Amino acid sequence: MGNLRQSIFKNNWIELAARWVLGLTFIYASIHKILSPADFARIVYGYGLFPEILINLIAIIIPFLELVAGFALIIGVYPRSAAIAINGLLAAFIAVLAINLIRGHEFDCGCFSANQSGYSSSPEVTIARDIFYLALGMLIVLFKGNRRSLFGRLISA
Amino acid sequence: MVFRKTMREIVILVGISVALAMVVNFLSPRGIALIGQWDTSKGVITASPTGPEAWKPEQINTVARAKEIFDDGNVLFVDARSPDSYADGHIPGALSLPVGQFDERIESFLNRYSPDTRIVTYCSGRTCEDSHNLARLLSDAGFTRVSVFIDGFPGWEAQGFPIG
Repeated sequence: MGNLRQSIFKNNWIELAARWVLGLTFIYASIHKILSPADFARIVYGYGLFPEILINLIAIIIPFLELVAGFALIIGVYPRSAAIAINGLLAAFIAVLAINLIRGHEFDCGCFSANQSGYSSSPEVTIARDIFYLALGMLIVLFKGNRRSLFGRLISA
Repeated sequence: MVFRKTMREIVILVGISVALAMVVNFLSPRGIALIGQWDTSKGVITASPTGPEAWKPEQINTVARAKEIFDDGNVLFVDARSPDSYADGHIPGALSLPVGQFDERIESFLNRYSPDTRIVTYCSGRTCEDSHNLARLLSDAGFTRVSVFIDGFPGWEAQGFPIG
């Protein structure tokens, strides 16, 4: 068991796959939010957790943080820090979803699409999905050894 | 110091994100204001789009004013909500034109009403934008006297006004 755990955190192919899955997911998730910030702002409002003064700023900035961190993971620039940033976002998403789930507040998660009103996967499924991504993120953060880069060269840190 | 290095890198990533976000939001035709209007006591909530897509219809801001217009007659109230919501109760004499079915229904609508018909759209109140979207679509279709009753059906119902 110890050996298995060790090999997961040392296998740089697994680490590369984790970075690509997480990176592509975050880039994909950022696109529709960047294309329709007004729709995303309504979704942020719908969470019912943020002060009015911050709603638009959240809707403007968070998608670009997803995009930049996702892109950094894929090209292998600051991979560990990008994964920490993404884990921070995931922890925040999970907290927002969980708080609304617990207090029974209905909302649209807006994770991947802002335009299909009425559509949203259940918050339970979304939280489970985010926990899976968080595990991928932790794997990248805790990885020990030389990481593979986009073009097969090894990068340190 | 791994911690310092990590902090510096995160600051750089966040800095690039914020800078990029501000530039794109400023230049994009779909950009929004840095602070939106999210206070329902001040009117319909909106992210306040800044680009050419931004469009502001004439708004009827109180239920009392909507009732006056209703009593004047000579006005067509148009309900932007779903057919189910309409069936559960609507402003008397209102026509159902769900904003999602606009394309299928506008043809017969155009045949029945002249472009200078006074139209008031409404939906479920200040957290709903459908009445604004419908007003815009009607206005694009050629109707010249379109306004939005922002308190919508819930506002009307709360005052105990007649329901159709």
